[in-house]
Amino acid sequence: MKQKLAVVVTTPPFSNLTATAIAYIEAALEEEITVVGVFFYQKGVLNASKHLVLASDEFQVIEQWKKLYITHNLPLHLCVTAAQKRGLSDESEVSNIHDFFTISGLGELVELSNMADRVVQL
Amino acid sequence: MTTKTKSLAILNSTAPFSKTNGKDALDIALIFGSYEQPTSLFFQADGVWQLIDNQNPEAIKVKNYLKTFSALEFYDIENIYICRNSLKERKLAENFHIDNVQILNAEDFSEKLSQHQVILRF
Repeated sequence: MKQKLAVVVTTPPFSNLTATAIAYIEAALEEEITVVGVFFYQKGVLNASKHLVLASDEFQVIEQWKKLYITHNLPLHLCVTAAQKRGLSDESEVSNIHDFFTISGLGELVELSNMADRVVQL
Repeated sequence: MTTKTKSLAILNSTAPFSKTNGKDALDIALIFGSYEQPTSLFFQADGVWQLIDNQNPEAIKVKNYLKTFSALEFYDIENIYICRNSLKERKLAENFHIDNVQILNAEDFSEKLSQHQVILRF
């Protein structure tokens, strides 16, 4: 049976730990491990911001999340409380997050933990 | 989809009020508790300050989330472990604001931690 992995990201888009999380997820997928989802908490929710501008010679983290979402249909969940207190919203008129992220609650983290064989936070 | 309950350890190693780590960790504990997931709390390094009694965060305009620790027992979160060495290093008395804190030496602390399937750290 395929192993299942869930990943918790608590680091901002410009942190090397976020880049490591992406590399880790890619390696897991290459090994045919099922990644049941990524849960973004604390500063991790900033990874979803539409207004993020990273210098063009730096690691383009949003592009990588988008690629993982499109290629592998990888669920990307933001904690609603963490998102709201950082000014992020998915309400239609004022949405400022990329549409490949979903706003969820901490209950989703419980679900992901129970679905996965292993949960990793970097 | 298989959903198996997992035991969660939350490892707290930051002081209570300069960052929101302690509050963010407690929010996770309460949600996992409300979903009846077996959850334990671990405190080491500056994280031990989160259990020390008689603090006055209102003086620096911070909400006293430590009061919420008294709710843990209603969520059946009864395993609360603190590292003896970390207390000693900070010359802190065993004067906690909740009752059921277990003081462990480094070896037992590590042993307890390793008995959990998921570890999140804040």
